[in-house]
Amino acid sequence: MIECPSCGRQHRPGTLFCSECGVYLLTGGPLRTEPLPESELPTARADPWAGSGGAQTAETEQATLTVVMSATGRRVALPPGGEAVLGRLDATRGVFPDVDLTPDGGLEGGVSRRHARVHQQKSQFFIEDLGSANGTFLNGQRLTPYLPHPLRDGDEVQLGRVRLRINVH
Amino acid sequence: MTEEPDFYEILGVAQNASLDDIKRAYRVLAKQYHPDAQEAPAGTSMLFRQVQEAYDALSDGQRRAAYDRRLGLAGLNLDALFSLNVQLSRSILPVMPEEQILYALFEVKAAKATSKAQRLPLNLCLAIDRSTSMQGARLDQVKAAAHQLIDSLLDGDALAVVAFSDRADVVWPSQTVSDTGRAKSRVTGIQAGGGTEILQGLKLGLDELEHHRRLQSVNHLILLTDGQTYGDEEKCVELALEAKRRSVGISAMGIGEDWNDQLLDAIASRSGGSSHYIASAADVQAIMNERLKTLAAVYGDELRLTPRLGENTRIRAVFRLTPYIQRLEMDGDSLLLGTLQADGTIAVLLEMVVGQQAPGVRRLAQLELTGNVPALERRSERVQRNLSATFTTEPPPEQAVPPHLLNALAKVTIYQMQESAWSSLEKGDVAAATQRLETMATRLLDMGEHQLARAALLEAGRLARSGHLSPSGQKTIKYGTRGLSLAAMKDQKS
Repeated sequence: MIECPSCGRQHRPGTLFCSECGVYLLTGGPLRTEPLPESELPTARADPWAGSGGAQTAETEQATLTVVMSATGRRVALPPGGEAVLGRLDATRGVFPDVDLTPDGGLEGGVSRRHARVHQQKSQFFIEDLGSANGTFLNGQRLTPYLPHPLRDGDEVQLGRVRLRINVH
Repeated sequence: MTEEPDFYEILGVAQNASLDDIKRAYRVLAKQYHPDAQEAPAGTSMLFRQVQEAYDALSDGQRRAAYDRRLGLAGLNLDALFSLNVQLSRSILPVMPEEQILYALFEVKAAKATSKAQRLPLNLCLAIDRSTSMQGARLDQVKAAAHQLIDSLLDGDALAVVAFSDRADVVWPSQTVSDTGRAKSRVTGIQAGGGTEILQGLKLGLDELEHHRRLQSVNHLILLTDGQTYGDEEKCVELALEAKRRSVGISAMGIGEDWNDQLLDAIASRSGGSSHYIASAADVQAIMNERLKTLAAVYGDELRLTPRLGENTRIRAVFRLTPYIQRLEMDGDSLLLGTLQADGTIAVLLEMVVGQQAPGVRRLAQLELTGNVPALERRSERVQRNLSATFTTEPPPEQAVPPHLLNALAKVTIYQMQESAWSSLEKGDVAAATQRLETMATRLLDMGEHQLARAALLEAGRLARSGHLSPSGQKTIKYGTRGLSLAAMKDQKS
């Protein structure tokens, strides 16, 4: 028999989810988002109201946002409707972010499963940290969790250690 | 049929196995069967040759493609009308005296494209609850939905409308609708009044459907109700079984929150149809419209899955995943899967308990699918798939569970937690039910299902304070969790 690490209930070998508490029984250490040492991350805090003039954003509502992964050069366009969760796919927990950063070193880079959210209001795009383990950084400054910050063309965003560039056109 | 040896079965891997899966299976088997292996029983060299031959064929991309073509797996099998796919949670299992769990995800798709021109004629009956409680917005919305349905019928489609309270009347006798104006005005004339006896409506509705029932049409009854029926529940379920025998499916739609969800679910699942929760009267039209589209796109019907189990293997639970999560019970020796849409998939998750097996590749079950494809005038088509796994005395290698299967199982687990919350409550254990709802809410939050999590927390709070659930909350959770499988890929937004 195998034991659920969360509630202690016994299951037959091969069982994948605990029927009592719904926990995935094979989740071991490697898939967890490991906290990164503070020294590896920027420390400055971003001011959400700074630079929100929006002068550089396109004025039309047709503006589209593309995320470019610095390490791999991979480009992902934001789906129309203007909202996307950036994170790390974890099928076992049913987490399917719109932009999966696993292929861009998401796990080693300390990206949370649900790390940050990008959304659009009229022509302006915003980014919001979703209480991630290692934080979201905009141009080197750490975002306050759950507080949307405006995004501009050419901004550099960092999720944990993974760097992205924002293109708005 | 082909005389090709089944290399996939020899290696105990699925037909869509990756090269890694194939290599892993080969390594395990080669160790067991290699003539030099210490524990190799006599006569294994023959087995080893087979394994080697299978590996040589499948590990080379070109040779595998050629082999698949010969087997007809690449869709060239002209005979197959259904395409099947089976994935196992693991294909290499340890030999152990203890029982182990193995999950299988079984998917059926249409193997032949049917064009729109081949849309089957519909033979529909609307059974409308006109009890007093339907008066006002509910009945008005149902009438509007019926009008919309009448307008969307094509030449050759037959429609009947019956209305029921404690007795049932034919509003529009079964006929191909040419005078849509007259049909609509008959529907408009339905007056509310009386109690609710679903049996009356079902009976008369099924009788009406008989007039135009043909094998080459989609015979379906749509039941719309907002209330409880009293005393005739069992007879309703019996009638649903009779409907299935006549190839009539029933869509049971409950409006508001006072209807008996267990009864409507039973009617729908017995007949191979579906049940729907319509929270607000304003949604009737949209849901009816959706249902009609689904009915018009039927490719296969009366689909059944018959599992033939190998030694020391049994099935613990079966869940249908599409269009929503639903526990399937054995009906005789098979499972009723109902209808398959032309562009749809029927996915079924089997949870198997596997007892001790001898080392080597063992066939755990044979799954046989039977069904009709009315548009092609083909009946009782059969397709089979074997479920085999490799058993080894050494610790099995690391195997990734197919993500698709894991995702499905995660949702089914939530669905089961919800089921056990209700069953704790039925037994009077409020504390356990509250705790289950709270745990479930945590898991839903993990998945980003904020709305459903909130509903679960709300009900847990209510339960802890008052010992009762709200009927709407319970239905929201029940129909929300069973719908999780649908929203699989894009429910991050709430």
